[in-house]
Amino acid sequence: MKNTIKIHRVTHDMTQEDLANQLEVSRQTINAIENNKYFPSLELGLKLAKIFSCTVEELFSLED
Amino acid sequence: MKNYLFPNRFKALTGWVFYLSLLIGLYLWFTDQFDDLLVVPVPDFFSTGDFLGPDGFWLENGILDELLTIVIIVSGIIHSFSKEKREDELISKLRLDSLIWSLYINYTIMILATLLIFGLAYFHILVFNLFTIILFFNLRLRFVLRKHYAS
Repeated sequence: MKNTIKIHRVTHDMTQEDLANQLEVSRQTINAIENNKYFPSLELGLKLAKIFSCTVEELFSLED
Repeated sequence: MKNYLFPNRFKALTGWVFYLSLLIGLYLWFTDQFDDLLVVPVPDFFSTGDFLGPDGFWLENGILDELLTIVIIVSGIIHSFSKEKREDELISKLRLDSLIWSLYINYTIMILATLLIFGLAYFHILVFNLFTIILFFNLRLRFVLRKHYAS
């Protein structure tokens, strides 16, 4: 699975720390998600989509 | 989401208590001093295989080993299962992975001991196994959390 969280985060002019604070997770967790070392739960995925005002499919997709 | 973790404020104190009581326990075990310290009458329900014991209900016993066992287990569990300052789902996953890892290691050692060690030495391994599952879990969790926070 790949994701576009880093692109969305930079577009929204947010640091990993800003995003982590909004999601109430650690900055390291955001880093792990962005680097595909950890796949977040559906709940966190939905929260991310809400913050970036997009769909979950725009954030996450299966690799070909 | 509901979880069964203790508040973060317990973590530091119980960590000190756990490792300190573990060291004291090991020292007293290897110097064979358990039976000589804190000797008091205790209720004897089943110590000799007879219900309530052959010599009556009360038995003179050094209770330091019982006290240390309880302190090590309780402090170890609270320390291992206290929340991090910011507990999130990735840390929950690391905690679960560490618990599975320690379970595998602990029972691998126990199976090897069952095959290779006999008599009183095997009994000692069983006693150590009471504590090693918490110890292995704790050490593994500290290690992966350190790596996680350094990332």
